[in-house]
Amino acid sequence: MIKIENLSYTYGDGTQAIKNLNISFPSEHIFAIMGFSGSGKTTLLNCISRFIKPQQGKIFLDNQNIFEMDVKSFREAIGVVFQALNLFPHMTVLENMTLAPCRLRRINEKDAKNSAREMLERLGILELADHYPSQVSGGQAQRVAIGRGLMLKPRLMLLDEPTSALDARTTEDFSHWIRELQSDTNFIVVTHDLEFARTAASKGMFMSEGEIVESGNIDGVLRHIKRG
Amino acid sequence: MCFIMAMKRLKVPVLLMSMVCAITLSATSDEFVTALTGKFPPFNYYNEGGDLAGFDVDVSREIAKRLKKELRIVTTEWDGIIAGLLAGKYDAIVASMAITPERKQSVNFSEPYYRSGAQMFVHRDNPNHIYSIDECSGLRIAVVLGETYQQFLEKNYPDIEVVTLKSTVSIFEMMEQQRIAGFVTDRLVGLWQIKNAGRSFVPVGEMLYTESIGIPVRKDSNKLLKQINRSISDMKVDGTMDKIYQKYFGTVGVAEGESAVGGMTFSIIANKLLKGFAITLLIAFLAISLGFLFSIPTGLLLVYNSGFWALPSRIIRMFVDFIRGTPVLIQLLFVWLGLGLKAFPAAIITLGICAMCYMAEAVRAGLISVAPGQALAARALGLSSFDRFRFVIWPQAFRIALPSLMNNVVALIKDTALVSIISIPELIREAQSIISVTFEPHKYYLIAALMFFAVTFPLMKLSGRIERAIQAKGFKHD
Ligand SMILES: Nc1ncnc2c1ncn2[C@@H]1O[C@H](COP(=O)(O)OP(=O)(O)O)[C@@H](O)[C@H]1O
Ligand SMILES: [Mg+2]
Repeated sequence: MIKIENLSYTYGDGTQAIKNLNISFPSEHIFAIMGFSGSGKTTLLNCISRFIKPQQGKIFLDNQNIFEMDVKSFREAIGVVFQALNLFPHMTVLENMTLAPCRLRRINEKDAKNSAREMLERLGILELADHYPSQVSGGQAQRVAIGRGLMLKPRLMLLDEPTSALDARTTEDFSHWIRELQSDTNFIVVTHDLEFARTAASKGMFMSEGEIVESGNIDGVLRHIKRG
Repeated sequence: MCFIMAMKRLKVPVLLMSMVCAITLSATSDEFVTALTGKFPPFNYYNEGGDLAGFDVDVSREIAKRLKKELRIVTTEWDGIIAGLLAGKYDAIVASMAITPERKQSVNFSEPYYRSGAQMFVHRDNPNHIYSIDECSGLRIAVVLGETYQQFLEKNYPDIEVVTLKSTVSIFEMMEQQRIAGFVTDRLVGLWQIKNAGRSFVPVGEMLYTESIGIPVRKDSNKLLKQINRSISDMKVDGTMDKIYQKYFGTVGVAEGESAVGGMTFSIIANKLLKGFAITLLIAFLAISLGFLFSIPTGLLLVYNSGFWALPSRIIRMFVDFIRGTPVLIQLLFVWLGLGLKAFPAAIITLGICAMCYMAEAVRAGLISVAPGQALAARALGLSSFDRFRFVIWPQAFRIALPSLMNNVVALIKDTALVSIISIPELIREAQSIISVTFEPHKYYLIAALMFFAVTFPLMKLSGRIERAIQAKGFKHD
């Protein structure tokens, strides 16, 4: 569903973070973009989510060039959860989730709240509805942020380092949770945590210095990395 | 030791006194010779029996008594009265002579034995509720034709309708018919005329200007000057001056320039204070509302200072710094006198701009403390730029800015006191006008302070509570 052609991105200071990258992500429930720190994963994610514009190359979402898409329909098609999550601290969990549907879809508040509750229930965090972000744990916040993104029913969700704030146990819980999450949405998960990638994803790719080292089935990729 | 010092202290003045007496006294040393014109009732004049009488005459008598000397009064023309003194024809002039720098060059003056000056009088019932000359705009105020008060009023109070009448008698008639709101004349002369005519007019407000009346002596009469000063101060302390004053000017006050209460009852005072405070609060409310409204775009402009907005941002930055770096008082005077705005709009605009600049800083601090990821996340959710600001950025920035915004509100309410300077009848000015009648500054300034505090204190408490509530919800200032 995502196809990338000859993508290159160079920061203003001359750092070339992505080097002539070509890949087609298969439609996969969870696809992992792996790589060590500084390999260009976040840069790639920012390109795919249109927050930065690559100097060269094209990105297609279901055969549409994303930079030619209308912003609103693009944002509705692709959700992003940043590493810092950026939950809105002045709103309850429920309000965090209803803001975009209310404003973008003009859904009335009551309906939006009902569907947000349904979503929270599906994600197993209904009890958090009236909590403020400062009152929930790191693992719960991660789920809320994903839930907030899922409210617009995007075709694709991009998660940047979802486990960076979690310890080993909650990481394992989270990888099971996201795996079992019933969703019409495909996930691209950016992570440097190979163990998490192995438990959560079925396919993936490994980046190094802005280039793809290996891609395919997760076990194959990881075997290749360990050998190399 | 002690004994010797006491001896010395006694000896020196006694010795000096005898020397001075021997050398300088023109008249015989047991006479106190004074001069006056006898043409200035009620201060000095010839009464029906043809005898010299008046305030100055009584004061001269009392001083002579205290000097333990025989009083001899010389009458002379005003024109040559100082020359006569210098020529040694008399020891002192007790003739209601105002102390002026020019006169001081040739003679030495005693401490003032009374003060007078231009005073406004109204009817005791005070139908127009006038408590100071400032409240007479548009009213008819009378003066006697040819007296300097006419020019003084026309020059300093152009809003007053000055009515010139031939004499005090016609002024009194017009007052009784309520065809004029008040009149201006010399304070003491006015009091005496009112008393003589049996009218119920009272002085209100402070004197428009004052003159201090002293007793001139020759420059070499230091000893006499000291004795006269001592006598005057004794007369003030032991009530003699008061008694003489009452004799001529009625039971309305004492010689040092105090004034009658002018029928200012408690309800009038309360009404004035409340009205004044209402104006204070109205000005504060309008200025703060306006200021807050404009502080948001101003604060935004201070933060978003790149691209197209770089130049406007820089200009606003300069403007905000300028306003914050200059006294509000000067800004008020500039807008009022410099730009010639009417007092009320000048106050609202000046304080409003101040509020805008101070609050814009608070807004700016709030905006920059919102994590940049917040805007990014809102963008990722597809919110429009307006929605991002309205629902995500502004609520957070506002919460962070709120405590300092509240502090600004308190400071601005207090700053409203400054507009009294541009003659808006707000609380301070009303308090001053009450004080000019009641002479109780301690009381009314305290009341005014408490009225301010009654409003600012809850605001300060509220600000503290909001701050704690915000922190409890996980917001922090940094
Ligand atoms: N804003 C930036 N300006 C300049 N260089 C950057 C910026 N962000 C990232 N880089 C550099 O680009 C490279 C890739 O960074 P990034 O995409 O964040 O890697 P990853 O997410 O895999 O850790 C790194 O060398 C990093 O230092
Ligand atoms: Mg990264």
